[in-house]
Amino acid sequence: MGKARQARGTAGEKMKKIMVVDDEPDNRLTIKTVLEKNGYVVVTAVNGDDCLKKARKEKPDLILLDVMMPGTPVREVVPKLKGIKIAYLTVVRTSEAEREDLVKGKNIVDFIQKPFEIRDLVRRVRKAAGG
Amino acid sequence: MDTIKELAENQTIILILSGIEYHRGVLEVARQLSGQRVAYVTLNKTFSAMKDDFGKEGIDASKFVFVDGITKTIKKVKGSTTACYYVSSPAALDEISGALSKILARGFRYVLFDSLTNLPIYGGKAPVARFVSGTVAMIKERKGMAIFYALGVKEQDGFIQESGMSVDKIIDLRMGGC
Repeated sequence: MGKARQARGTAGEKMKKIMVVDDEPDNRLTIKTVLEKNGYVVVTAVNGDDCLKKARKEKPDLILLDVMMPGTPVREVVPKLKGIKIAYLTVVRTSEAEREDLVKGKNIVDFIQKPFEIRDLVRRVRKAAGG
Repeated sequence: MDTIKELAENQTIILILSGIEYHRGVLEVARQLSGQRVAYVTLNKTFSAMKDDFGKEGIDASKFVFVDGITKTIKKVKGSTTACYYVSSPAALDEISGALSKILARGFRYVLFDSLTNLPIYGGKAPVARFVSGTVAMIKERKGMAIFYALGVKEQDGFIQESGMSVDKIIDLRMGGC
């Protein structure tokens, strides 16, 4: 895909772009494959710093952000991603109250617990990003 | 598994659990140590989530002190309390050691480490294996007893075996119940 062009679906509609941020290559590949099969354009980043670098250029409609990654912690990454929807996608377990608090953040739209059902992931991505 | 009896016979143990049994197994060990002074290192759940879990299960964790490696990665935390030491992240091995050392100095005998699987190995397996070995030595020096949980996944087998050289016993419950 050219950098200035946004992929389009068969009906000519603009395809939604999802950025998957995870330090585990297997996780990135699995989620990328699933989402591409479901009609999304998927870009990946290996950690928060890589995400910050790529997000400006790629302008994703939704970022699926792992919580435990090397480099800058997500609590410092998220405020720098103003205007982009973010869903945490993580193995980390929080209390109900903490989850509610986290999704109160202006651009945090969901908290998806790993392991996840593929159908549930697609449903939640669709809800958050459309497409 | 009779946790107190096992720890009386083997001061430091790696307990391998399957993904399906993991949560239940961890809660069962905590239940058996209810009312004891326990240092609980959590690297996959927040302190708040642990309190919720124990509360729902009726586990008396009033004498537990936590080392939480998660909460600070997702939100700002004012500071540590007497019930919980917040460390920057699961990668902050020195901070985890420091917190554990302070808790053991307060006379805590039991350590539950949850879990080896969540110790990040970004910097290579050797530093993490050194951390495990150093932690075991510190616990033994203070006459403490510890269970290090590990998730039974193939990718971690080598690392678990390597860490296993530092402890007195490895118990693999992947095939059985807790």
